[in-house]
Amino acid sequence: MADAASHDHGHEDNRGFFTRWFMSTNHKDIGILYIYVAGLVGFISVAFTVYMRLELMNPGVQYMCLEGARFIASDELCTPNGHLWNVMITYHGVLMMFFVVIPALFGGFGNYFMPLQIGAPDMAFPRMNNLSFWMYVAGVGLGVASLLAPGGNGQLGSGVGWVLYPPLSTTEGGYSMDLAIFAVHVSGASSILGAINMITTFLNMRAPGMTLFKVPLFSWSIFVTAWLILLALPVLAGAITMLLTDRNFGTTFFHPGGGGDPILYQHILWFFGHPEVYIIILPGFGIISHVIGTFSRKPIFGYLPMVWALIAIGVLGFVVWAHHMYTVGMSLTQQSYFMLATMVIAVPTGVKVFSWIATMWGGSIEFKTPMLWAFGFLFLFTVGGVTGIVLSQAAIDRAYHDTYYVVAHFHYVMSLGAVFAIFAGIYFYIGKMSGRQYPEWAGKLHFWTMFIGANITFFPQHFLGRQGMPRRYIDYPEAFAYWNQISSIGAFISFASFVFFIGVMFYTLTRGQRVTEANYWNEYADTLEWTLPSPPPEHTFEQLPKQSDWDKGHAN
Amino acid sequence: MPYQWNGKQVEAPDIRGRAEAAAGELPLARLTLWPHRSLPLRGFAAAIGFLFLMGLIPLVPLIGTRLIWGILAFSLAALAALWWALQASYRRGLGEELLIWSDMLRLTRTDPGGRVRVWEAAPHWVRLELQKEGPVEHYLTLRGEGREVELGAFLTPAERSQLRDDLAFVLGRLKG
Repeated sequence: MADAASHDHGHEDNRGFFTRWFMSTNHKDIGILYIYVAGLVGFISVAFTVYMRLELMNPGVQYMCLEGARFIASDELCTPNGHLWNVMITYHGVLMMFFVVIPALFGGFGNYFMPLQIGAPDMAFPRMNNLSFWMYVAGVGLGVASLLAPGGNGQLGSGVGWVLYPPLSTTEGGYSMDLAIFAVHVSGASSILGAINMITTFLNMRAPGMTLFKVPLFSWSIFVTAWLILLALPVLAGAITMLLTDRNFGTTFFHPGGGGDPILYQHILWFFGHPEVYIIILPGFGIISHVIGTFSRKPIFGYLPMVWALIAIGVLGFVVWAHHMYTVGMSLTQQSYFMLATMVIAVPTGVKVFSWIATMWGGSIEFKTPMLWAFGFLFLFTVGGVTGIVLSQAAIDRAYHDTYYVVAHFHYVMSLGAVFAIFAGIYFYIGKMSGRQYPEWAGKLHFWTMFIGANITFFPQHFLGRQGMPRRYIDYPEAFAYWNQISSIGAFISFASFVFFIGVMFYTLTRGQRVTEANYWNEYADTLEWTLPSPPPEHTFEQLPKQSDWDKGHAN
Repeated sequence: MPYQWNGKQVEAPDIRGRAEAAAGELPLARLTLWPHRSLPLRGFAAAIGFLFLMGLIPLVPLIGTRLIWGILAFSLAALAALWWALQASYRRGLGEELLIWSDMLRLTRTDPGGRVRVWEAAPHWVRLELQKEGPVEHYLTLRGEGREVELGAFLTPAERSQLRDDLAFVLGRLKG
């Protein structure tokens, strides 16, 4: 074949281990790295929740004791250590919100599959991609350092809640809080650079003939998410920088004594915080679209409305933030506006849910593991979404704010939404990424135990919230004991399913059945990544794909 | 059209063994090829404009407060970063350049990584081929100096066909 100024066909991969994994400029490898690190951090965060649910299983404080934290209850005196509890809930939130779900979906699946789906040879800026990943790792390191550094109440770690509200965060002792701020700075910068990379790649490196409205839905979801990141993260950076200067340089942005206002922090934080939750879920929507289309043996119903729904959810997500703040003392007009704006977001979300159902309608459904996760997602994300509509009503939120009803709502959309989408993506794509397939029985077992466990964990929390149990509390009155115990049992079942999942992954990656075909599902998995070998070679699409490779008539 | 013919420019390169080219003559023709960039300039303007407008949403309510400065710096940095990134994406990426003298052809290919590869041959002996099937449809190659090199593999098949006709004309004139 011709060479020249041409390509190295079948060149050998002579990168050393260190070069390949620590100095990577390959979007596929970087995607894999993100997934691994996100999984590890996810395990740490889940371990915290197991400890938390252990404490909440019975009224009274038996484990988080000032005399020394315990894992086995004993008859010895236990003076409640509220700080340890606050640290646990804070870092569970911080790790999950900043260091687990977004790196897995956006950094992991986004990096791996978006360039493939648009037929690009790599991201626009491969070295900056690597920088983003290692900045993320640095952020994780700083977060862990923050957990272990001297903090408030003369103990380690900061117990301020993941939202870092002043005045608690500006007066928290020690330097753990400052390390936490740096962790969020660094991971925010990582995300912003990643978003710029994604936007540039998506806009400027699509294969010829692939106009915007022929791009696959997952890539669209990554593109919209990247815009959300680019718009929301700088605002967060500003907010936490002002926390830092209030703490260390005598400014009074949020201190009333100096003319500041802590509620302004909440406005700025939630201006970031609401898009943040859409940043978390939109790539999940993208994966679910592909999984449902494949296992219904039908193209997704209504491609164009699906794209516009993604865009609408993204744009609307910027004008609803104060529904997290209904109880801070805003005027009636302000609360009414935010309530109505929030309700509007239900419309494009509903378009998506109905489109997924319409995709399955009349299709030939195959209940492989990824489809089980997608089904679970569809049902449970909808449940979480409708409790969100309940909470959007300012008058109702007056009673539900800061109760377990809110905790139940967001865990349904995040733990049973985004996390189910991550698992769907893992089971869908692991054969493609690794060249080995998982055992189907194991995938199904994982799904059922997680489905059962997570529902038992979070459904009773709706009852607790309605009965008035506040969130972020180490202990509760006797009357709340029944549902708390059930919720904790669910947590242990979920954790067991997670440990089983780790075992399934280990088995699959070392001894799983080797995959030989490029497309091991069916012909309805028709985006470009399914034309590549499993696993794909180091360099893909150095030659632009032909339009017939990806343009299947229906805009998919 | 990601390829372009130009009559002049470029100072004569420094090589040996070719009479006219070595004499420092400017090339007769210069053909540059670059891959498709899917964002037209209007799209670039739309992207920057969109980021600017949406970025105003958190800033406008803060006008008149001290807090605007904290947010403004980061928002401007994000805008600048997106501008720079899209511009850099237009500039880099692979490109091929074919310089044509009466007695020499030189093809220079720059890879996205920056690596530069060169091929030189005498135009009289160069064979131009357009294969129907190949790594891409209408695979265009030049054969000479014991090597066969591809040209414009990143163009569309129609562009390659057109380019082949252009080159055949030019090479025909050189031989004649």
